[in-house]
Amino acid sequence: MTRMNRRTLISASAVLAVAALTAATVPAQAAEVGVTNSEIKLGMTLPMTGTASPGYNKIPGAMKAYFDYLNANGGVNGRKITLKVEDDQYVPTQAVAKTNKLILQDKVMALISPLGTANNKAVAASVNPARRGVPVLFVNTGFSGFADTKKYPTTYTILPSYVMEAKIMAEYIKDNFAGKTLGLVYQDDDFGTDALKGFTQAGINFAVKVPYASGSQGAATAAGWVTKLSAAKADVVILFGVSSATAAGLGTAAALKYAPQWILGSVGGDATTIKAAGVPAGVLYNAVGASFAPATTDMTDEYVKLFSDIYAKAVPGSAFDNNVLIGMNSAFVAAQAIKAAGTNPTRKSLMDAIDAKGASFASAALLPLNYSKTSHIGYSGYWFGKYSPTGDLKPVDGKYVLYTTDSGSGAVVKSTWKRPAMPAKGLPQ
Amino acid sequence: MHKLSNKKRLFIFLLLGVAIYFISGAVDELRVYQGATIAVYVVGIASIILLTGYSGQVSLGQGALLGVGGYAAALSRIHFNAPIWICFAIAILTAAFAGALLGIAAARLSGPYLAGTTLALAVGLPSIANQFGFLGGEQGLLFDVGFPPLSLGEDFTQYKWFFWIASLATLIAIFWLQNVMRSRYGRSWKAVRGNDVAAELAGINLTRNKTLAFTLSAGLAGLSGALLAMTIGTVSPSAFPLALSFSLLTGAVLSGVTTLGGVIIGAVTLVAIPDIAGAVASRFGSSEAVTNNLPGLLVSTLLILTVLFVPNGPVEQLRARREHRVNK
Repeated sequence: MTRMNRRTLISASAVLAVAALTAATVPAQAAEVGVTNSEIKLGMTLPMTGTASPGYNKIPGAMKAYFDYLNANGGVNGRKITLKVEDDQYVPTQAVAKTNKLILQDKVMALISPLGTANNKAVAASVNPARRGVPVLFVNTGFSGFADTKKYPTTYTILPSYVMEAKIMAEYIKDNFAGKTLGLVYQDDDFGTDALKGFTQAGINFAVKVPYASGSQGAATAAGWVTKLSAAKADVVILFGVSSATAAGLGTAAALKYAPQWILGSVGGDATTIKAAGVPAGVLYNAVGASFAPATTDMTDEYVKLFSDIYAKAVPGSAFDNNVLIGMNSAFVAAQAIKAAGTNPTRKSLMDAIDAKGASFASAALLPLNYSKTSHIGYSGYWFGKYSPTGDLKPVDGKYVLYTTDSGSGAVVKSTWKRPAMPAKGLPQ
Repeated sequence: MHKLSNKKRLFIFLLLGVAIYFISGAVDELRVYQGATIAVYVVGIASIILLTGYSGQVSLGQGALLGVGGYAAALSRIHFNAPIWICFAIAILTAAFAGALLGIAAARLSGPYLAGTTLALAVGLPSIANQFGFLGGEQGLLFDVGFPPLSLGEDFTQYKWFFWIASLATLIAIFWLQNVMRSRYGRSWKAVRGNDVAAELAGINLTRNKTLAFTLSAGLAGLSGALLAMTIGTVSPSAFPLALSFSLLTGAVLSGVTTLGGVIIGAVTLVAIPDIAGAVASRFGSSEAVTNNLPGLLVSTLLILTVLFVPNGPVEQLRARREHRVNK
């Protein structure tokens, strides 16, 4: 019996200890969570380590570079913006755990740019930012589901949806490759299903469609794709997959001397990531790619010039690529949203500000933002260009031809929108 | 060795339940969530202890069996709108069935071959979800156990509800497991682990014995997977990566793979390490590269230290030392 009493005592004291520890940490409440007189805290989770991290792990550094620049120039209404970054290793369990930490322990005002569809779905289901009233700004996925403002009222996407991208790509193909034999490689999940929906809507007929299972993309599988594509004599092949699939497809086809006109989807089209996977820049040459941001090599573009200067000083020696540009742009748009949320911003006033004024926020993209009370989708279009011999995506003849559309049945139209001049010094006005 | 009677053990488990009930009321929401995660790991690690520590078979693919359980629970919830308890039961049965199939193969394998087979399972199985539409592909499926009953009060949080469910399931599972370990089966597993030839000579059917261990272990893994799916609200291939299998194995080694007594140690370590690493990194203002890799470094260091100094786990070590002292 003595032994049991001791055990009872131990468990009882453990309970007391835990209770005492946690009761002691109740901070004074400010006007809004994550907002003090001198600071606004934002948080993000994304893969910083692990197989999915290459390319994406530059995004936090890029965003911090912009926020540091902003803070050095007075911040937003005298408040510094700080960004807390957590590594989720592209695993939903980690994404949920880290997001809980950001919201419950670090007490961030809003989440920004969380990455990956599965992770965002898990966070929405488990952490449920909507129920907690926590804004989720500019999620890095084109899954059209997140555009549902009823289901995800506090979530704002920034990328065009995959349906939009496919519809726009279809229009580009009709304009440039009419009558050619078409092939498609796509991921057989929501990502690819969304794309197929878009292509079907646009009335595109593929001579050959090759689905692949996410995680299966490698040289061996890609050899199978190439066999199917070349058997169908496809002249134009769309690679609508993640970076690793694009790299596997391009690399294997080059090794097998199969050279159709490639068209790369935006998700898998980042040249730095493809090159990092061992594909020589020469293989990318002349492939068609899509983007909504200006070419990262275009130093005549005022945003590219300013952002690349800021980034070079903040993270010396790191290449200024599309991930960096989009990361800094998201930070810049977030800064404007916080500014528009008033002198004492709250989570609610932040979201109200994006709903009311988001469409007029300045951004580096060559297309306007579409935020409103009923739409939480950021950009709605793309321009197409070709990869240079060094692997940089550039507009053909130096001219951006912009297409826009919606996720539904709306037509694809060429956009005549002119981006307004950048606010002075790239700071929110 | 002095053993507690069943009645006393039941009393201790009830006491633990009461303690957990009070803890859930006293700590903040993040700790409650972490508590639920600890419960998930406890069951997962226990499944490895049963398999490896007791029956002497190595599995590097426990994460895949968690996946089977998670998907089974989610599918039965989505398609049949089954009550959560039924979902968990289906998860356990489905994973146990998968484990039985695997066990039949495993009984013919040993050492590196078994490790290799189970490893292949951990790598391959989750991507099956991409092959069949009804499994939801890379984005996965939702697993919604619903809101806590209103009778628990307005401000009863979702995570507290998860924590209660997970803790109760874990207490029942561990109590059951202890009983199994003390039964004829537990003793024959130990005999096989000690020396399989001797065990066979003593009349123990090796194949049936090993297959049974695999089946029961898989059932526990299935429960752990269903609980995991509940805490993150979804199932998807990326929720059951190879790293999960290795984490559970690490947890089992830290806990002491031959006794159930320390199972909580491994689970708490796995959940606490990222927090500790974060605190250390911010105290020393470390660079991003250090911050990102510190958790992995800490776990590896702990693992090496455990294997070097307390190879059977801290609990077993303490007991051995105490017995040594008593015997002297």
